[in-house]
Amino acid sequence: MNKTMKLAAVMLLGLTAPVMAQDIKVGTIFPLSGGAGPDGQTVTNAVKLMVQQINDRGGLLERKLVLISKDDESTPAVGVSRANEMIADKVDVVIEGWNSPVTLAMQPILARAGVMDITAVSKSDLILSGQTNPYAVRINSSNGFDAAVIAKYVAETLKAKKVAFLTQNDVYGNGFQAAVEAEFKKLNFAGEVIMTEKFAFKDTDFRVQLTDLKAANPDAIIVTNSSNSSGLPAMVEQYRQADLKSPFVGAVGIMLTTVFKVAGDANNGIVSADIFFPDLPPFTTMPESASFVAAYKKAYGAAPDKSAALGAAALQVWAHAVEATKSLDRKTVAEAIRGKTIKATVFGDAQFLPNGQMQPRYVLFRVVDGKNAKLEALE
Amino acid sequence: MTAIESRPPASMPLLRTACIVGVSVIGFFLPRLLGGTSAAYSTLTTIAIFAVMCYGVDVVLSYLGEVSLGHTLFWSIGGYTAANLSVKYGLNGWDTALATIALCVAAAAFLGAVTLRTREFVFSLVTYAAAVVAYEVAFNWDAIGGSDGIVGIAALKLPFVVTTFSGATEDELWPVAFVLLLLTLAFISRFRRSRLGTTALMVQMNPALAASLGVNPRRIRLAVFIISAPITGLAGWLYAYQRAYVGPDMFESYFLVMMLTAVVLVGRRVLIGPLIGAALLIAQQNLLSLGGDWNKIVLGSVLALVLIFWPAGLVGLYRRLSKNKP
Repeated sequence: MNKTMKLAAVMLLGLTAPVMAQDIKVGTIFPLSGGAGPDGQTVTNAVKLMVQQINDRGGLLERKLVLISKDDESTPAVGVSRANEMIADKVDVVIEGWNSPVTLAMQPILARAGVMDITAVSKSDLILSGQTNPYAVRINSSNGFDAAVIAKYVAETLKAKKVAFLTQNDVYGNGFQAAVEAEFKKLNFAGEVIMTEKFAFKDTDFRVQLTDLKAANPDAIIVTNSSNSSGLPAMVEQYRQADLKSPFVGAVGIMLTTVFKVAGDANNGIVSADIFFPDLPPFTTMPESASFVAAYKKAYGAAPDKSAALGAAALQVWAHAVEATKSLDRKTVAEAIRGKTIKATVFGDAQFLPNGQMQPRYVLFRVVDGKNAKLEALE
Repeated sequence: MTAIESRPPASMPLLRTACIVGVSVIGFFLPRLLGGTSAAYSTLTTIAIFAVMCYGVDVVLSYLGEVSLGHTLFWSIGGYTAANLSVKYGLNGWDTALATIALCVAAAAFLGAVTLRTREFVFSLVTYAAAVVAYEVAFNWDAIGGSDGIVGIAALKLPFVVTTFSGATEDELWPVAFVLLLLTLAFISRFRRSRLGTTALMVQMNPALAASLGVNPRRIRLAVFIISAPITGLAGWLYAYQRAYVGPDMFESYFLVMMLTAVVLVGRRVLIGPLIGAALLIAQQNLLSLGGDWNKIVLGSVLALVLIFWPAGLVGLYRRLSKNKP
């Protein structure tokens, strides 16, 4: 009897085995070539590492994860083709998005096909508007949150009375300035904006603006500059040469490795904020984050930056939701993320707003040793 | 093969019509013959749209002998018109298509008038500059989308007599793309044999003869340029519905290089040339992709090699090879 039971069980397993053994397909679409290629490769590598870790632990829902990575070439039209290929490949989730226009172009394609879509990096507010994808999820912080943390620092920590803006004259720069000014209003900011100096994205000579700012002598200069390999380092150098006394407060996410490499110690004293650091608390004390940093260093020989953490978190969040709901269905998985808290990610316990935005946890920092990109966290 | 030579023999109109109908029917069912998968529908729909986009450039290149680098402007006008009018005013597909044609004609009339006296290099440069200016406007003007573009374009709706045709998915959009392609082919084939088409060719090939016949070359140039614009514009119009998102990327060189390569690859003044060119390029990118950087290197090299060695395209190469045979 016992033997027959066993036999039946084995047969049953045998019958269900092909279904159970079917792999779960994870797709990534990031730029892997061109100017943003290295960045997209970093995110893809982080996702790959997480997939390996889950497979090493026995997979997800007892099924193996396979990764399909594609290159959107930073071109929306190419991204659309890649999204269609993912649909043809019948992937269970797509983690995508370095450039907002590429994300916005792929979003309706994936949504129509009912594919779960997690945006890792792209920051546009339209992504979460719900118009094209009612189940959108995004890991990176939004411009609104970024502005709030900078406004709060300037108004409440620096207690600045006179504020100046040094603003990149495009949608990014002007949008960020408008958001900071809106936050000032919300905070009943007692000071005033005494000056706004503008420049173009491609500019490398800021001496005229800096001379004006020096004469006005504000209590803080809020800077947006997304040209991190030429414009921003030049600006930092010229800010030092002009010997301005006003603190340099950089917008969230502008202090990238290239700025430290080019401008070195001229960066010392700059204050800015971001949402992930491999070597600053609280991330050094979070077990999930510390183990990710160690594993990433071992696999790729360098510490992971914010974009790597965003990619890793995207996969973790999705995997936790799949595990919790025992489902791969888009709606079920998305509803387990949106408005919920996902525990133990590289960002710690990740809280999601009802619109799918991960609530960022900012760290304000000051540059102490620019040459070695050493930062100190501010409270 | 000039337009004049290629005139079909008039004695067999029935056979010719039957051939055209047969090929059209096969073409219509091609996605189903290729398996009927969503990938087949989306690839073929994209090929049809991109081919129509290329035909606008083809008209200017084949019949004026000029390289327009400004047709991304008309492509974008189509996309932005469809997006803005359908999202903000809820207009249906017919209205947005009519608006696209009107705006493209207006833009082409202006640009054509400005470039009336320019030739070759200067013509290309001025058309390119126009597209660059339009890009900056689209990128910075939030009212029409700004740098983020426009999301939430609803499915294409074409009310027809008593029923409404709706194109929400790729397999529903395919008939629209296919009909647009057929109409474009019919229009181009008619244009080749029209008085305007043949005169334009004469102005390009033998300006002295044209002048002696009292032809006003500027009028002809302007007319051909204006005709070419709504063709590319309507492709952009349908692309907006296919992608459900329109942004300043429609001005990108990706589309410009696609237009130029597809047209010169097969050869000028070959009716189905741009269609074959677009199909080859999309197939390479989607089926035989070598990765982003390599794809661009391949595309650029193909364009350069064709222009250097076989300026008449694959058709010219074929003709040269077949001539060498004993």
